[in-house]
Amino acid sequence: MAKNNPTTPLLRVQDLSFRYVETPRWAVDGVSLDVEEGTITVLAGQSGCGKSTLLRCMNGLIPHMYPGEYTGSVALDGSPVGSTRMGDLAQRVGLLFQNPENQIFMFSVERDIAFGLENLGLPRAEIRERVDEAMRLLGIEPLALRAPHELSDGQKQRVALAGVIAMRPRLIILDEPTSLLDPQTASELVSLVSSLRSRLGITFVIVEHRLELLTPIADKIVVMDRGRKVMEGTPSQVLTDPAARGHGIAVPPVSMLYADLRRDGVALPRVPATPRDLADEVNAL
Amino acid sequence: MAIELFALSLAASTLLTIGLVLLSILAIATLARSVRRIGKTMAFSLVFAAFIFAVNLVFGLGVQRSIDYALRFLAIISSTSLFFVTTSPDELEQIMKWMRVPRDVVFAFVTAVRFIPVVMLDAFQIMDAQKSRGLELERGSPLTRIRNTVPVLIPLVVNSVIRSGELAEAMESRGYGSTPHPTSLYGMRLRWYDRVVLVVSLAVFALALYIYHFQSFPLL
Amino acid sequence: MTFVHQNGVTALSDVSLSIEKDELVGIVGENGAGKTTLVKHINGLLKPRKGTVRVDGSDTRDVSTARLARSVGIAFQNPDHQLFSDSVESEITFALKNFGFEPSLIQKRLDWALGFFGLEEYRKSSPLILSGGEKKRLTLASILAWDPEVVVLDEPTVGQDAIQKEKLAEIVRMLHAAGKTIILVSHDVEFLWTLQPRLLVMKRGRVVGDGPCAEVMHDRPLLEGARVCQPQLVQLYDELAARPARPFLDVSEARAWIARDGEGTMRTRKGGS
Repeated sequence: MAKNNPTTPLLRVQDLSFRYVETPRWAVDGVSLDVEEGTITVLAGQSGCGKSTLLRCMNGLIPHMYPGEYTGSVALDGSPVGSTRMGDLAQRVGLLFQNPENQIFMFSVERDIAFGLENLGLPRAEIRERVDEAMRLLGIEPLALRAPHELSDGQKQRVALAGVIAMRPRLIILDEPTSLLDPQTASELVSLVSSLRSRLGITFVIVEHRLELLTPIADKIVVMDRGRKVMEGTPSQVLTDPAARGHGIAVPPVSMLYADLRRDGVALPRVPATPRDLADEVNAL
Repeated sequence: MAIELFALSLAASTLLTIGLVLLSILAIATLARSVRRIGKTMAFSLVFAAFIFAVNLVFGLGVQRSIDYALRFLAIISSTSLFFVTTSPDELEQIMKWMRVPRDVVFAFVTAVRFIPVVMLDAFQIMDAQKSRGLELERGSPLTRIRNTVPVLIPLVVNSVIRSGELAEAMESRGYGSTPHPTSLYGMRLRWYDRVVLVVSLAVFALALYIYHFQSFPLL
Repeated sequence: MTFVHQNGVTALSDVSLSIEKDELVGIVGENGAGKTTLVKHINGLLKPRKGTVRVDGSDTRDVSTARLARSVGIAFQNPDHQLFSDSVESEITFALKNFGFEPSLIQKRLDWALGFFGLEEYRKSSPLILSGGEKKRLTLASILAWDPEVVVLDEPTVGQDAIQKEKLAEIVRMLHAAGKTIILVSHDVEFLWTLQPRLLVMKRGRVVGDGPCAEVMHDRPLLEGARVCQPQLVQLYDELAARPARPFLDVSEARAWIARDGEGTMRTRKGGS
């Protein structure tokens, strides 16, 4: 994945405000955000804060599919999302939805992965090649001819992700990808995301409630509340800030503990990402 | 593949009593593997066939005619089910595309079939939830039982609507509709034995029609 | 109160356990381990192939689900599988009518449910316009309206944010304090940890762990075998060199312990770390 001009972020959201038709409330209210290439950004906030809406602004569903009042701009690689066709956008940014079931259309796994490519009118040989590549990357080759209803939820998410990866986007957005998965499967998906970032340099923006799963791999956390961006920083900064709880996000116990200890005067050298980190630091005291 | 089309078209236009029975048997025999499933459909439609027979008899159409009608019905049903049993959804899709059915319609069909097991599962889960609230689905007068399906049907429909919305988002996000002529991973392949079967079955079909047309059999 | 002993073919094998009145029970295990299957036996949605399930003395095979549901309320994971009425009001009274409650009692229960769950403003609205969190509340409201003695919640925290989860935990505590038997099926180990129920661990259709929350969550090999995660505080506890007799129940306990110990150690350490 060739890197862009290093000073321009891959995704730039500038003063974005959006409200759906006939809705008085602004779903997204004056949000500005830069997403650098190759990073993993987590978008957090309580229900109704606008994170899902913001995601849809990032991949073009807003404004192409959902009309409404739209001010400000979202630029992907310099080009505004509003004036780029969905077909082009689909090759630059992919969106993985929450429900694994409702994003797989076809009878067989490999057919579904090919779906986006077929839509682009690519020649058959190239489709074949990309489908095989995507299946390899996600470790689902044995599932190629299976029907979706035979698969587990974790497998379905992988298939859906393969379908997105086959389009070779530089940015992939995930909308609460783990909420319907059990914790083990969820953490496997998270590892997968992390390895895709390291191997292919794909940039990720993830909306998630289960922050403890993502703190080890996230570069940045952005918190939204009632349509506005209220906090932004590294996981260490955001999760140990006492204001975080006030915005309704689920601060992992370990981060809360670190912040509390710091207030008590027990200064641990580094902000722990996992319980083991914290234990190691305490043991070393 | 060709066989199924053949069987279907035959059944629809068949009028010969004997021909009917013969062809049904022929069709089934060709696909020995699906005999059980076809058998089930046949057994099921036998009830209706018997009903048709009885009604015709009562209305004074004579025994032979009544048998004709009943058997024809049987054949139509069996060959239709034969068609669907032996043709995979992928092949159906290819056929529809070959018949120049609009892309959106084909897609809607494919998606609908893909979600059949999902909708069925939803239905069971909904029934579980409503039974747990005291909804009685097994007892009561026919009218009550019909009324009691409302709390199951409405969530089913609502879920389907929600599902369509989510699917639409996913489709858009993967560039659906960006070209008027999408390509395809699979193509329809007609191998040599497919061609042979096609030719042979068309020949038989033509022969049957000829016989029917030019020999006046006592029929319909 | 509930005595379960069954031997199903694929989903459950050789499960024997009894749940007393007033117990707070949590069930954990990966997807497909049989948690929901187990729980569906309690209100008779499923009948055991072998063995018996007794609720309050009666065998579930002798009673229909519609009747068992009067004392066992199950709130399933997906509210969209349940909501169907024109109004929130009729959604809540649906079950009450099914169970043959008297109109005056129905009115009382309806008012109570709307108030308790903060849904009064939506009384006449259609359930379909509510947000995800509100729908979940409505599902709970419509089940608690008929005041079952046993309340089963199947994955109540899925898709809920932190504030909603706290409220839910409060509700569970209140119901438990009011004398109800509560069974929680959940992946959310942090949520369960704050409630400290009796914990059942399921794996491939069997119950492989059964005991007080603190004990069971401490057993790492057991949990790993069942693909269940340990709560963060328990993981921390396990890794600490110096630690109290039992795992920390919440962040403030952990804080108190570490600050005290930390300070003690820091004070004696010369040269800093």
